[in-house]
Amino acid sequence: MALVALQGIHKSYQLGKTEVIALKGVDLSIEAGEFTVVMGPSGSGKTTLLNIIGCLDRASAGSYQLDGQEIGHRDFNDLAEVRNRKIGFIFQNFNLIPVLNVIENIEFPCVIRGEGGKTLRQRVEQVAAEVGLTPQLLHRPDELSGGQRQRVAIARALITQPQLVLADEPTANLDSTTSKQIIDLMLRMNREHGVTFLFSTHDPRVMEHARRVVYIHDGAIVDGTARAAADVAKMKEITAHA
Amino acid sequence: MFTIIKLAIRNVFRNKGRTALTCGAIGFGVWMTMLLGGFVYGLTGIIVDDVILGRTGALQVHKRGYDNVKDNLPLDFDMEYGGELRKKIQGIAGVTAVTGRILFAGSLNNGMRNTFVIGNAHDAEHEYQVCPSANRGLLGQALTPKVETKGMVGFELAEALGAKLGASMVVQAAAKDGQQNAMDLEMAGTVNNNLPIESKRMVYVPLAMAQQLLKLPGRVTEYAIAIDDRERLPDIAADMQRQLGPDYHVQTWFELRPQVLDIVKTQRVVLLSVCLVFLIIAVIGVMNTMLMAVLERTREIGTMMAVGIRRKLITGLFLAEAAVMAVLGIGTGCALGFGVIAWVVYRGGFAVTPPGSKAIVQLQPYVPDWLVLLVVCATALATVLAAVYPAWRASRLRPVEALRAV
Repeated sequence: MALVALQGIHKSYQLGKTEVIALKGVDLSIEAGEFTVVMGPSGSGKTTLLNIIGCLDRASAGSYQLDGQEIGHRDFNDLAEVRNRKIGFIFQNFNLIPVLNVIENIEFPCVIRGEGGKTLRQRVEQVAAEVGLTPQLLHRPDELSGGQRQRVAIARALITQPQLVLADEPTANLDSTTSKQIIDLMLRMNREHGVTFLFSTHDPRVMEHARRVVYIHDGAIVDGTARAAADVAKMKEITAHA
Repeated sequence: MFTIIKLAIRNVFRNKGRTALTCGAIGFGVWMTMLLGGFVYGLTGIIVDDVILGRTGALQVHKRGYDNVKDNLPLDFDMEYGGELRKKIQGIAGVTAVTGRILFAGSLNNGMRNTFVIGNAHDAEHEYQVCPSANRGLLGQALTPKVETKGMVGFELAEALGAKLGASMVVQAAAKDGQQNAMDLEMAGTVNNNLPIESKRMVYVPLAMAQQLLKLPGRVTEYAIAIDDRERLPDIAADMQRQLGPDYHVQTWFELRPQVLDIVKTQRVVLLSVCLVFLIIAVIGVMNTMLMAVLERTREIGTMMAVGIRRKLITGLFLAEAAVMAVLGIGTGCALGFGVIAWVVYRGGFAVTPPGSKAIVQLQPYVPDWLVLLVVCATALATVLAAVYPAWRASRLRPVEALRAV
């Protein structure tokens, strides 16, 4: 059974008086343990797709099953529960809570569901150690570099031991060395812990490691690994000349 | 819960300048309310003390029916004085002193001029136990139990008659049987107190003299009574009425001087209105601050939603932030309020002239416990309620839109 199963997902919204169609009947299936990249030009609908998979937004039509359970018609608190228990998020801008230190940021998803105590703290320290943050545990986000912030975000995404981690352009605000470290970190998490990663990115280095590339164009998934591969090659070429 | 409170406290201190302004507005409101309350209640205390300790006593007893015709200063409703009735009143729980009076209409003649006066005859031995401030504004000598021919005259009345201390006068009045009677009186003192009518028309004579003048030996028309605890005034009055029976009418000071109670009530209304204005200013400040916070932290709220926070926790977070600001503001306001009041009391209070008075008295600001409680509770509640709408707005954000916020 697929971890993520989308069938005929449509998404449209009003922009003034205009109806914008963001997704047109998307069918997508992602198995547990995949390391998948969604790519496409700006405005193609990849962020909308990730938002729907991440239960941050609702589809206008279609069916979405996460881990075999229909998600589409649940209310806010139910979706919050799903996000908290089953999904981890890594954002382009890190999105850490500035008044909390590293430990508090990492443990936040667990604390809001009532967990606490020494067991949680040990788990936080263990995850922080895995992402290489042990020396910075008591630092606040404004005392960290971009790479360190993204490591905190990764640790926060992993602390709940989610089935799926969604990463929206996770390396876009990082330099190339840090990007590589972050990609390596996520690959290791995928390999060692079997965490399913779904990326939206333009970064060819991410695509290089992806076991699967989903290309989206004008709100529809274009079937074709070849096309995705061509894009990877093209983007590599651009990066090399840059 | 602890994390939410910790987060709320840290969020409050994120923008220290804005927090200082908001807490300052709350604190200023609390501070000003306490100062104003202290002044108003200090003034109320002076006015009430002036009535209770200077004129009426806490309670008075008259013969039933006296109250209906009291403006005529009747002598028909006389009561025995010095016997069983006085002992009975004195024996009621809470009563600390009892004195007898006769109020009568008469005239005062100094050989040159004759004028209408209100006679106030009292038992000097007990009068000052019930009304220790009765002689505030006295020039000269007060009545004493031993001298039966010396009296006091209202200050403006004495001036109008051109009388000086020691001047001889004649008091004339109709006795209870209607016969006109007159007695000599030496003006031992003048009284310049708070009420113009008393300054212009009142003559104070010894009770024994009045009893002789009015042919009311061993009688009075009024008992004035002091009690040990003003908070128990209605209970003591009810107990006294029950024990004395229906022939007597027991009245409290505020039944006797309803206008004073009106002044006190008006002061409270003004005070509470001003408090309300301060409260509204604080509420607007808090609401503005919280709306700004929601606007500035929209993406952060989106992040919290993304990791699974529930709406009630977001609402709770913003309400907790308002509560933290309320604690800071109220704490600051109370500290300043109590501090300034303590300093003023330490310095001896304000010099003020009570309404209708020429005398200067020292006003000691005083804030009753209930006012402190009211201000603290109302401000805390209003501050938290002011955050309800911003908190609701924050909790109703859609995660996907909140995350897109800049």
